[in-house]
Amino acid sequence: MEQGGPMYTFLVWAIGSFFTVFVLLVLVIVAMKSRRQWQESRWRTRRAQLEPALFKYVAGREPLETYTGGALDASDRPIVEQIFFDLSRIVSGHVIDRAHQAFEQLGFVDYYIHRLDSHRWWTRAEAAEKLGLMGSRRAIPPLVAKMDDLIPDVRVRVARALGSIGSPEAVRPLVHALRAPGRWSAIRVSGILIAAGNEAVQALLEEFYALPMHAQLSAIDIFARIRSLDTVGLLRDLLRHEQPDLRARAAFALGTIGDPGSLDLLTGALRDRAWAVRAMAAKALGRIRDESCIPALCGALADTEWWVRANAAEALKNKGERGTQALLSMLDAQDIYAAQQAVQMLQEAGVLDTLVSQLGSQEPGRRQEALEVMAKLVRLRRTDLLTEMAHNHPESSIRQRLSILLGLRLSPEPVA
Amino acid sequence: MRAFLIDAVVTFNFWVLFYFLALNLIYVILFAASLVEVLRFIKRTFFSDYQQILQSDMTWPISILVPAHNEEKNIVESIRSLQLVNYGEFEIIVINDDSTDRTLAKLIEAFELRRVDKVYRKSLTTQQVRGIYGSLTHSNLLVIDKERGGKSDALNAGINLARFPLFCSVDADSIIEDNALLRVVKPFMEHPGEMVAVGGIVRIANGCEVHEGRIAKVHLPPTSLPIFQVVEYLRAFLTGRMGWSVLRSLLIISGAFGLYKKSDVIAVGGYDPESDTEDLELVVRLHQYCRERKLRYRIVFVPDPVCWTEAPTTFKILRLQRNRWHRGLLQSLWRHKRMFFNPRYGVIGLFAFPYFLMFEMIGPFIEIAGYVAVPAAWALGILNIQFMVLFFVLSMLAGVFLSVAAVLLEEISFRRYNSWQDLLKLLLFGALENFGYRQILSIFKVKAFFDFLRRRRGWGDMKRRGFHKRQISSPNPASF
Repeated sequence: MEQGGPMYTFLVWAIGSFFTVFVLLVLVIVAMKSRRQWQESRWRTRRAQLEPALFKYVAGREPLETYTGGALDASDRPIVEQIFFDLSRIVSGHVIDRAHQAFEQLGFVDYYIHRLDSHRWWTRAEAAEKLGLMGSRRAIPPLVAKMDDLIPDVRVRVARALGSIGSPEAVRPLVHALRAPGRWSAIRVSGILIAAGNEAVQALLEEFYALPMHAQLSAIDIFARIRSLDTVGLLRDLLRHEQPDLRARAAFALGTIGDPGSLDLLTGALRDRAWAVRAMAAKALGRIRDESCIPALCGALADTEWWVRANAAEALKNKGERGTQALLSMLDAQDIYAAQQAVQMLQEAGVLDTLVSQLGSQEPGRRQEALEVMAKLVRLRRTDLLTEMAHNHPESSIRQRLSILLGLRLSPEPVA
Repeated sequence: MRAFLIDAVVTFNFWVLFYFLALNLIYVILFAASLVEVLRFIKRTFFSDYQQILQSDMTWPISILVPAHNEEKNIVESIRSLQLVNYGEFEIIVINDDSTDRTLAKLIEAFELRRVDKVYRKSLTTQQVRGIYGSLTHSNLLVIDKERGGKSDALNAGINLARFPLFCSVDADSIIEDNALLRVVKPFMEHPGEMVAVGGIVRIANGCEVHEGRIAKVHLPPTSLPIFQVVEYLRAFLTGRMGWSVLRSLLIISGAFGLYKKSDVIAVGGYDPESDTEDLELVVRLHQYCRERKLRYRIVFVPDPVCWTEAPTTFKILRLQRNRWHRGLLQSLWRHKRMFFNPRYGVIGLFAFPYFLMFEMIGPFIEIAGYVAVPAAWALGILNIQFMVLFFVLSMLAGVFLSVAAVLLEEISFRRYNSWQDLLKLLLFGALENFGYRQILSIFKVKAFFDFLRRRRGWGDMKRRGFHKRQISSPNPASF
């Protein structure tokens, strides 16, 4: 390699470039950190100065200048804003109203309305979010206009802002926004519609069949959360819909609403050809306070699908004393899976603990009842919990009875 | 003969220069992609989004799987810390993989565990499960006690018991931040039909103040070796994985912290107990599975769900750790060799796999060969001192540039190291790592290559000494 040759020139050029970039990066890092630390320090100091005055303002009735001793500097805007937003999270009533007045008086509302037209989408999104927090009704028209923004993130934040201001104008565009695919949009839009309550229910009911399926599924979830009885008719119809996803979600929603009038339909859904529908129907039946479905749930314990069995067992657990009796009777089931699910639920419900305690009872009948259940568990080979109790139960007579039952040779004192 | 040697050395020089330029070009592309993505990520991140995920009924519940083998020093603290994570519905499944210490006993005592007769679905084959324990005090905690089968086997057992559609693998010796689950689940909420796995960033906890299972204050480690690893992790995660993720070629999600769709993992057969780096092997198989079936899918890295873990503080343990990582990488490359340059596997087969072969596997040999070639050329009297010096300076500057670029990304985005002292240390160690540390890692990798050829397996003796003093082994930041 000769000095001045192409290789030499290239290497020198590359070294020079890397070195320059390296120095620039270091300078950028140092400059950024210095600036940030200066800003944070100023923020802390200024916040400490402003907070007492702003607290007095929200508690009082005079204009803001009376408390701050004059007009605020433009650079104080984010600090004042943050103090009021922090206050809004922990207080309500008069304090919030005063904060909203301050936002108007200080020109913050105008400032963010103006920023709704920014060419940067995240600035528009931030403006919408802040306007929602500021609660100004003056912001409703520009926010409604932004419901057509090209960026979904902006639209969702605009919708949420309208929702938090309490504007009914938001409901229709929000129902429309449910059409956007993706669980994330659905979560965000649903949250706002749920907060809107009955107005959202009516709008969704009117437009339900015009929505694409993923939006219909979100709408059903919203019905379930709002628990409006107005939706029960539609949900019952959906239990007969050809789409299994809709049937399953409708079953779940009926359970969440707790509609006893849907009991027969849900019991019928336990025989649906789609396992997801059967699983959701079982779950729903567990949430409705009625015991007539217990035999059907016992039948579902022998379903071919694990989730159906698990949900049916869980549902029986929620049915109180009669459910417990049904689970106990399932210990004799021919279907081994049904029996195992029953054991798990009896354990989770604490029934087995009670039965083990019964082993120490003075009444022979109660002891015998407990022993019979234990014998079934031994036959099913589901004895982990019993073995544990045979080692650790505080009463020696119970430990002794369990160890005889399980054929264990145990120490006279509890292990643990 | 001498003429031949001279020709060979000159050819080698040019080849190395070309190799060096290609490698650094890829690094610069990855850095540029990462920078754009980090800036985009920051703009798109609104705190209120996470509040909505937290409050929504539609948020998917998560099963947290914690494999544990001889973790008595920190298992209780780790589980208590996990119980406090900020998330709606989740369950914690600890899998005691035949610990010979008091791991299980400590769990039983701390959480009032007792044996339960839980229905256990064997979707994946594992070693024998001895028993399942439920907690009387924490209804969302389950413990599986099983025969020894290694970390992969333990995770597979956890998947079998998991109730929820997503599972998160977390190392028992790691700490995840309060909002980490909310943040790592967000991509699943955004692309529910396509998302298969999401990895979070792993940071080094050495030197940090830990209070009640939480990172209370972030500091750099007090000793040099872990500081080098801090810089390396920053580079590997913020520049490397971020860039690979943008290019849809992410091959590694750290075993210490990753979120997966359970059904997809079961479809590929779960974690592979035969692999030394089960995390990498799983992600490669997920890519393979989805590509072969022409599925629309995503495997992504998100930079702000943070998992803290302790880095090795001695060269001996670092060597064991890196040996395993590199062996694991070679195993996966070998097993999936049909993916190389295979258009069927898209960018994975045409770019990611060749990159790992050319630069991760062969790179250490080139580097070591360079250090051998210089004295050889000098002995032959054909050493071009000027070229050597210029090339050496260039390669060091390129290394320093990449480390400083990673520090810049950290400073732009998450700024975990607040003090000036820490920042200056990061910059200094970013420069210093090119003088010794990098070369030592190359030697470890060369040794790992020969261990791979000899079919050596296993983790080696990774001693743990409790959370504050412990050496640990887990996540593989896989240098770019």
